[in-house]
Amino acid sequence: MDWATILDIVLKFVAITIVFTVVLLMVAYTVLAERRVLAFIQGRLGPNRVGYGGALQPFADLLKFILKEDIVPDKSTRFIYFLAPVIATMAALMTMIVYPFGPETSIPFIGTIPLSVARFDVALLYVLGVTSVGVYGIMLAGWSSNNKYSLMGGLRSSAQMISYELALGLSLIGVILLAGTLDLQKIVEMQSAWHGFRWSIFLQPLGFIIYLIAAIAETNRVPFDLPEAETELVAGFHTEYSAMKFALFFLAEYINMFTVSMLATTLFLGGWNVPFAEDLFGRGTFLFGLVGVIGFLLKVIFFLFLYIWLRGTLPRFRFDQLMNFGWKFLLPVALLNIFLTATILMFFT
Amino acid sequence: MLVLLFILFAGLAIGCAIALVAQRNPLYSAISLIGVFISLACLYVTLAAPFIAAVQVIVYAGAIMVLVVFVIMLLNVEQEERRRRSRLGFLVPAAVVLAAILVAEATFIIWFVDRSPVKPVNSISDTGLTSSIGSALFTKYLLPFEITSILLLMAIVGAMTLARRIKETPPGAAVLPGTQVLPLRLFDPNLPLSDTRAAEAHSTEEAAEMLGVSDERDPSERD
Repeated sequence: MDWATILDIVLKFVAITIVFTVVLLMVAYTVLAERRVLAFIQGRLGPNRVGYGGALQPFADLLKFILKEDIVPDKSTRFIYFLAPVIATMAALMTMIVYPFGPETSIPFIGTIPLSVARFDVALLYVLGVTSVGVYGIMLAGWSSNNKYSLMGGLRSSAQMISYELALGLSLIGVILLAGTLDLQKIVEMQSAWHGFRWSIFLQPLGFIIYLIAAIAETNRVPFDLPEAETELVAGFHTEYSAMKFALFFLAEYINMFTVSMLATTLFLGGWNVPFAEDLFGRGTFLFGLVGVIGFLLKVIFFLFLYIWLRGTLPRFRFDQLMNFGWKFLLPVALLNIFLTATILMFFT
Repeated sequence: MLVLLFILFAGLAIGCAIALVAQRNPLYSAISLIGVFISLACLYVTLAAPFIAAVQVIVYAGAIMVLVVFVIMLLNVEQEERRRRSRLGFLVPAAVVLAAILVAEATFIIWFVDRSPVKPVNSISDTGLTSSIGSALFTKYLLPFEITSILLLMAIVGAMTLARRIKETPPGAAVLPGTQVLPLRLFDPNLPLSDTRAAEAHSTEEAAEMLGVSDERDPSERD
């Protein structure tokens, strides 16, 4: 191994550390934002005592999670019980490395670098693959706890994920057909036309709506939070989890929200493309990169707000409604979207 | 570097495969199989075939094994019992013969590869990329590809036909939440157990009336 390879690996590690730190910090504040926004929706104030307006609340919560007693159920399957939160968190974090957070940017003293950790040919499939492995975290947690509520939660989660993964994958095919590639960077660059306004959402409105619904189901959030369903299943798959292990599941859920928000931004909302930024600053400059990253993060924050908003306003689906909606409505509409996109591409280009 | 990665993932694959066979708990075996699939996917990546790797994880680790784990969890299969004499004991000689054939095959391949002329692989080869696989599938291998899809479609339709339950209730009559679904034998012990007609009722009397059966139980047993 020569020095260039070692330097490359070190740089990748630095990049991964930065991305993970930023994402985890944003997750911490998403939790706070969720609690406060929900409180406002319900006419309360929410946590506002620790730090200015509750700004230190996430760290207080973290400290509490670390210091709490870790209770392991006596009849649980020990190894899998420990493994499940690790799988959930790891699978959630692993997808972070492929997203293009910004365009190729020249940074003073360093040179021109791409603002993403890794770039490869099948980035989109990688995201889908890793998220599909994340289901095991929830399933195995439900099974290994040796608790009937947990088992019900685990079973529901696997049925739900399998049903909605199909619609999710099919809703992305329209964008793939338009872009002709699975490389996320190329898909974003394709959307830079029309002064940075050729976002796929305008060309694929149906695909976007299907993706959004399926993505909320994939992340087990309201109104699709049947694996947790605190009014029927106590807390579903994580009933028996406490302290830091519970915190890991919590973390995984929020990182998954981030993942699908980032994917929605990248595929449908133009990624780092900010309208007219290229005309103002010119491609590849530092300012262009900065505006791109800020634009990307703002779009992601919009989706996160949407999640919180939905949680504050919608009731939960019943299980048969969930299955009927996924298989009999979402899937055929996704297929129709593919058919329409392919037909239009075939005859009009 | 690549050799190190190969040793790591090949070792993981073999380790998981051994665990898969040696485990007595079916769920542990299933998890080991997931480990094998993921290690193989990593090996594909080192072989410059990212598309196959991604598909391997999505299809096998992400979809098929989820169903397998789902079924194991649903049936709540207990730990397999250890029998002194397995019912499948007669298969041991067959296993030995098959293992011998496998070893012979492996030896032949190693021997053959060792003697074949060395042809360096072009490092920027794009055979493993999505676009080249796609164009090959839709041009050169179109017929086999379509035949395979029809085969899979037939399997899906077949599975649905076999698994579909013939409904006793008239079409359109869904069982609502809060409805009592009771076996008819509860009312009349002479009726067969298989009769599972359902009624949208909120009490036993109402259900009995709607299904046209008389409540034959003692008044003390009634709810």
